[in-house]
Amino acid sequence: MIIELQSVNKVYNLGQPNEVQALFDINLVIEENSMVCLRGASGSGKSTLLAIIGCVFPATSGRAAVAGKQLARLPDRFMTIHRRRTIGFIFQQFNILPNLTVLDNIALPLLPLGISPDERRQRAAELIERLGIGHRRDFPAGQVSGGELQRVAIARALINNQPIILADEPTAHLDTTLSHDFMGIMVELKNAGKTIVIASHDPLVTEHPDMDRIIDVRDGRIDVS
Amino acid sequence: MKNRAIEKHFNLLDYALSSLWRRKLKNMGIITVFAVVIFLVASFQILTSSLTETAERMLAQTPEIVIQKMSAGRQESIPLAYLDRLDGIFGIRAAVPRVWGYYFDETSGANYTVMAADRSLMPEGKNLEMAIEGDFPAAGQGEAALGREVAANLKLAGRRTFSLFRPDLSLKSFRVSGIFAESTDLLTADLIVTGLDEGRDLFAIPENLATDLLLYVANPGEISTIAKKIAARLPDTRVLTRPQIHKTYKVVFGWRSGFASICLLTALAAFAILAWDKASGLSAEEKREIGILKILGWQTADILVLRFWESLAVSGLAFLGGCTAAYLHILFLEGSLFRPVLLGWSVIHPSLKIVPVFAAGDLLLIFTLSVLPYLAATVIPAWRGSTIPPDAAIK
Ligand SMILES: Nc1ncnc2c1ncn2[C@@H]1O[C@H](COP(=O)(O)OP(=O)(O)OP(=O)(O)O)[C@@H](O)[C@H]1O
Ligand SMILES: [Mg+2]
Repeated sequence: MIIELQSVNKVYNLGQPNEVQALFDINLVIEENSMVCLRGASGSGKSTLLAIIGCVFPATSGRAAVAGKQLARLPDRFMTIHRRRTIGFIFQQFNILPNLTVLDNIALPLLPLGISPDERRQRAAELIERLGIGHRRDFPAGQVSGGELQRVAIARALINNQPIILADEPTAHLDTTLSHDFMGIMVELKNAGKTIVIASHDPLVTEHPDMDRIIDVRDGRIDVS
Repeated sequence: MKNRAIEKHFNLLDYALSSLWRRKLKNMGIITVFAVVIFLVASFQILTSSLTETAERMLAQTPEIVIQKMSAGRQESIPLAYLDRLDGIFGIRAAVPRVWGYYFDETSGANYTVMAADRSLMPEGKNLEMAIEGDFPAAGQGEAALGREVAANLKLAGRRTFSLFRPDLSLKSFRVSGIFAESTDLLTADLIVTGLDEGRDLFAIPENLATDLLLYVANPGEISTIAKKIAARLPDTRVLTRPQIHKTYKVVFGWRSGFASICLLTALAAFAILAWDKASGLSAEEKREIGILKILGWQTADILVLRFWESLAVSGLAFLGGCTAAYLHILFLEGSLFRPVLLGWSVIHPSLKIVPVFAAGDLLLIFTLSVLPYLAATVIPAWRGSTIPPDAAIK
């Protein structure tokens, strides 16, 4: 298993008047090279769970291990290092810098790794071609379409060849065709050996034939199905 | 393997420069305003240093001791007989009576300083002579040497003679023997140098009197001892020594430059506050960018380094631009923006050729007061902003 959560709780704003518990006693194991889906209504805690798996912030209590590393009490700095090595994150609103070119956006995670400009360009260009957005390479990201933008986001999540891909409601802004395309890419990635976790309530995603497992999230708890 | 840590810094620098370039309009604006402020402060500092140096070079040629007669706390003419009472004080190389005063020229509205002494008696006559393009005025021949501004005001235009009014409004005429060199402008611009008798005649001072007595001392180490002896022998005089004159001059000059410095530093401080204000309120766009970079695996330190390069580029460019402009302003325009402040507002003020003195200390001071606060004003808020958790970007 590449992801293992034991009795994980997450409380936002702990000890403050606006304290919210988003996750309750989560126990979850995800096998390497599987494609799983976190399904649940809005506010159920999918994004929170994804963020904990994605080493964005630590669980409030419980044990979480991702790619062989215990995340509990890992200092922020090391959490970041672990995240960029293991996690490729595809965000719902893409989180693209609109003034940068498509290529520069995709290469962004490589800058603090000390990777030379030539190598960055080469790696990004390869992914751009693979994802079929070669004709947009030098466009400012703010000027490309939603479907293209998502491919930019996917390329960026793959740039450091991370073993785990997390996607948060990836099809929310896409039409049916583009959603199909997206799932096609995910299947390809899975076949290439990646582990994929997608949070979604879109049937196109949740009921996809290649989906290995569906995990239902309800009010911060997961149903063991 | 190439050194990743070094390559990383190049990457961050590269990113910093290109993001400055992407917001070029805004950043050009900041750089321009900043450069103007630095230009003002730097011109001023360089001008002050240059003038101080020029002045000190010139003051080095003044007599070691000046004796003035005092009466009721005011200076009055000194009897030449006082010279005899200095007999027997060792170490006095020469004693020269001098007549000097101010002459108001009604036509041009300018004040001239008239200095009358006989060159033959003055050990530093040679120096003065070297400062004159032409000849030193010969004693008793009705000759005068003029500062450049005086010559311009009198509209000589090639004429070799001019006239000034005596107190009784009769005219006294002079023949121009030479003009003071431009390099001595700070001290000679408004100067008319003539023989002792001519000076007495012009101001209607009786034969046996002078304005003051100049003493030249053989050994500069003895100046204060000799000054004390003179003061004891001539109790109704004031004895000024060269070090004292230097000090007074420096105080006046220093006060002026200090005052103007404060004005300029205020401008600099205002800019720093502006920069702080601008930088401390990270815009929503900047916050978003920081959030995205963080979630993509940038460390807080990386973002600070990025911010540091950005600020260094902005303030460094402004610093270089401002200092270069200041240097050129003084080299080619002779600091025309600030000379009135430093040299006074008299109608005649020196148009001396200033050679820019670029003191490392001045530059360091300006650097400390401009680049460093700007760095602090931008990096510190970025540090506060970049410690926000990365999940802000996924909201
Ligand atoms: N930063 C935060 N501070 C406080 N409460 C939060 C924060 N983020 C999420 N929550 C709360 O935690 C709960 C779970 O939120 P989460 O975003 O994980 O749900 P979700 O399943 O992703 O919902 P959606 O489908 O709307 O994205 C919600 O009640 C939400 O209001
Ligand atoms: Mg969500």
